[in-house]
Amino acid sequence: MTVKRRRWRGHAATYAVFAFVAVFFGVPLLWLLSLSIRTPAEVFTASLNFLPREPTLHNYSAVLGSGRFQGYLFNSLRLTLIGATGAMLAAAPAAFAASRLDFRGRRFFLIGVLSLQMISPLVIMIPLYRYFVTVGLLDSYISTSFVYIAILVPLATWMLKGFFDGIPKELDEAALVDGCNRFQAFYRVILPVSVPGVAAAFVLVAILAWGEFIVPFILLSRPAMQPVSVGILSFQGTFAQTATQILAAGAVLAMIPAVAVFIALQRFIIAALTSGAVKG
Amino acid sequence: MAAPDTRGRVRVPSAPGLASRRREQPAPSAASGRVSYQGATPWLIPLLVVVTLFYLWPAIQALRFSFTDASLLRDQFDYGLTSYQRVLPSPSFLFVVRITLVFVLASIFFQLSLGLGVALAVQHGVRNRLPGTAIARTLVLSSWVMPGVIIGIIWQIVLSGASYGLANSMLATIGISPVGFLSTTNMALGSVIVANIWRGTAFSMILQYAGLQSIDPVLYEAAAVDGASKWQSFWRVTLPSLRPILMVNLVLISIQTFNTFDMVLALTGGGPGRATEVLALRTFNMIFRNFSLGQGSVLAVVMLALSLSFALLYVRLLRTEERL
Amino acid sequence: MRVRHPLWALMLAIAMLMAACATGEDLPETAPGEEAPPEETAAGETPADDTAAPDDAPADDLVTLNRIGAADAPNSFTMQITQGHSHEAPTEDFAGAFRTLFQQWAEDNPDWRVDLEIIPAEAVTAHMAVLLEQSRAGRAPDCAEVDSFVIAQFIDVGVLQPLNDHFSQEEIDALMPFVRDVVVDDEGSLRAYWWNTDLRVLYYRTDLMPEAPQTWDELIEVASSVAQENPGTEGFLFNGGRWEAATFDNLAHFWAQGGDLIDADGRPIFGEGDNREYMLSTLEFLRELVDSGAAPERVSTILEYNEFNTAAQAGTVASFLGGHWQHGQLQDILSEEDFALWDFDRIPGPTEDQRSTGTGGWTIGVFSEDPAIQEACADLIRSVYMGPANEAVGQLPTSTILFEELPAFQEEPFLRFGDFLEEGRSRPGVPVYPSISEQIQVAVGQVLTGELTPEEAVDQSYQASLDAYEDLQ
Repeated sequence: MTVKRRRWRGHAATYAVFAFVAVFFGVPLLWLLSLSIRTPAEVFTASLNFLPREPTLHNYSAVLGSGRFQGYLFNSLRLTLIGATGAMLAAAPAAFAASRLDFRGRRFFLIGVLSLQMISPLVIMIPLYRYFVTVGLLDSYISTSFVYIAILVPLATWMLKGFFDGIPKELDEAALVDGCNRFQAFYRVILPVSVPGVAAAFVLVAILAWGEFIVPFILLSRPAMQPVSVGILSFQGTFAQTATQILAAGAVLAMIPAVAVFIALQRFIIAALTSGAVKG
Repeated sequence: MAAPDTRGRVRVPSAPGLASRRREQPAPSAASGRVSYQGATPWLIPLLVVVTLFYLWPAIQALRFSFTDASLLRDQFDYGLTSYQRVLPSPSFLFVVRITLVFVLASIFFQLSLGLGVALAVQHGVRNRLPGTAIARTLVLSSWVMPGVIIGIIWQIVLSGASYGLANSMLATIGISPVGFLSTTNMALGSVIVANIWRGTAFSMILQYAGLQSIDPVLYEAAAVDGASKWQSFWRVTLPSLRPILMVNLVLISIQTFNTFDMVLALTGGGPGRATEVLALRTFNMIFRNFSLGQGSVLAVVMLALSLSFALLYVRLLRTEERL
Repeated sequence: MRVRHPLWALMLAIAMLMAACATGEDLPETAPGEEAPPEETAAGETPADDTAAPDDAPADDLVTLNRIGAADAPNSFTMQITQGHSHEAPTEDFAGAFRTLFQQWAEDNPDWRVDLEIIPAEAVTAHMAVLLEQSRAGRAPDCAEVDSFVIAQFIDVGVLQPLNDHFSQEEIDALMPFVRDVVVDDEGSLRAYWWNTDLRVLYYRTDLMPEAPQTWDELIEVASSVAQENPGTEGFLFNGGRWEAATFDNLAHFWAQGGDLIDADGRPIFGEGDNREYMLSTLEFLRELVDSGAAPERVSTILEYNEFNTAAQAGTVASFLGGHWQHGQLQDILSEEDFALWDFDRIPGPTEDQRSTGTGGWTIGVFSEDPAIQEACADLIRSVYMGPANEAVGQLPTSTILFEELPAFQEEPFLRFGDFLEEGRSRPGVPVYPSISEQIQVAVGQVLTGELTPEEAVDQSYQASLDAYEDLQ
């Protein structure tokens, strides 16, 4: 009886939270979706009717029509993949060292890497821009991706270190006994075991990279090179031309890849995080 | 660094399983053999190279620019403290710092508590296979992966002070007259905070959910044996176990919130007046509207100082609690 | 495909890293930080290929996403243009009009290909700052569209080429004075062609306001009584949010009194002497609009002209201070009978005789030093933007000759817009203007919310503008 009542209370509390989530998070999203299927005449009027009188998919075809949006999407994909992969490549050995090797300055290194994130990316952009001009790195996806890597690597390092900490020492010790050197132990034994953790960290930093705004805005001066997080603005229209409904369609389309990846992998990500990746 | 024991602070065991392992192995992070500093260098080189070339070096340049009167409009500049003298005593500066602190503190408090609340609900939902759990989780996540400018635009239309604004239309159905969500100084700041909570809760939710999952059920069983209520076991077991993850979470969301400007730019532009001009947006305006690289860099240095003091504060708070 | 190259190279590097892990010492040498520079150079050298990804239209298509002209044309130049003035404009009418004009130009100039860089109209100031930084680094496009209120900075830093060889003296002299003052430098060189302008007017609903208010007092009186008598209706709306138009639109009130923001040397003077009084009465007028209920509190949050269209569409507003282009928009979004209710007139002034309106617009400048490119770009300006584009999209021409000749501008509403243009003033083209504008935006917001009194707001914004001016010296 008490157990039942207790569970019922737990369910009620849970649904209270879900109801709040549905209103607070759901309504603006639903509204965005609703806006994206409206004709210009219905954009602002009758906003309480989520389904417009004349629903249209025209806004979506307007966004996809010229190929500009697909270009932005492709650019985003490219920057995100290189940025997140690079961050993993740079972070994994460092995280392993921080987890397994007791070197001098280890604590300073860990805190230092995190503190770096506290420097606003805003302010490094102009020095970086001038420096890129001097060495001819401007307007290149690769060099821009390296800035992404530098921004993402602290988080990646911390997550991976937490994950490696959770892997029993006995594993690499066994490998060392077998005659492997420490690097072989790392990539033959530890890395394969850590695939879920690495993947979870990868997805998290990739999502951060997906939304990056100021870095591509400054370093990729050619508008057609911009990722979707910047390019989306070009669907907002100008002060002389209204296009809110088209922007909404663009926003929905820009959101889909990231949400889809997350939904597809969320069980996996949570499981990986749970086993240690974010314990710090 | 004032605090010497970084490792101890961030590697607090979160479950008895880990704790017992730690007891067996007094120095869990030290590998079987002690390795010299040189031995670690090759492992750190990729990270150090990328970070130095693409972040640290320009950051040092920015620090250098803060001691100049550099402008985007000309090449030559002089060294000196003029930029600091311009920025620090100006009446708007203290105001900007004040609203930034309100923005950051309120955002992290609500993101963290809401994130934990949703994480608890999702955990309960998953364990009991309650329908709707996946939808709730997906909604929260969707708001997180959206570009900041879009979030600003969405909330601008939701909170519009016009009678046909979404929130106001809803209020009208229950007989409340239009509210100026963005038009008074305090309301506007509150609205920006709400939008930021909307954006950032997912991140805290993911971390807290992972933290919850890794709490050993034995702890709850022990608490239940002691006759603790659900509420008591939340305070005695859940929260203490989450402490290490809270620390990481706090540091990360503080940094993210301090650096937020794209969403605010789209939502209010920093207005009305300066009501929502947070430090990061002020920096953006200083560099890209006033073309003043020197003063923009000064603001960035202030931002760095604030983020650092927040981080040190968390570190200290956590350590004191750990001793209890 | 070329664009994939860097990605595959990176994948390959990863694979090699994994395969070559024989010894720990290999790691740093093959790490990304070390490996990448050669790839970067490769990618950097071929930006055109990099951006060509979506551009796989057939070769006989003369206007594609990123270019005008045949892909294999022997000559080419790069041009940056705002999206609203291109075939990628957000509305189909505009887009179609520009596509036709570009198509025609490409057919007439088979030897040329224009590689387009289309920038969104959002965050204009920031985009212009980036363009300025590019041009100073010698990396600007060959020609580019520049917002008229920052063109002076570009002229100042000496990155724009004179266009006198491509435009006749008669054409230069025909530019309206407020335009000529800015784009013709002291030596008489035309540094950019300012191709369109706009102006602000008072729109009003004739059923609620039978006659257009002519003075500030009349506006306050009629708008507040309309708002009072019709619950749910807003009397008067204007840009009061934190953006450029909050300064620009409301400067009409300041200019109408004879105010000047800066003196002949470019130093801010709006906080001194008579100008201070003019600025004060401007801010007091704005405050009074809200206090009297003529304007709702939410004007301090309005960040786009579209808000006015929306309110007109919802039928909840009696009058607003908007742009001349909104006439066409209202026509599009309102039903015929609703549109018939709307009329426009000059912005009310402190007295009936003191009137002004802000005039803006876009210029096109040439950065390239290659004479052939200069000529080709000037020809594009002439064939597309100087006249045809004005007509196609209803943007007012800046040349008195064109205004009198082009058929589209010989009928209403353009005849009246043309009359109003005589009272037009443009924003001072000086480097400190963006800072002044920001300060006035803040002052307007602080006065509207009651955060500061008009006196405090004027003094603070003036001091900050003076500081910004000094910093730029």
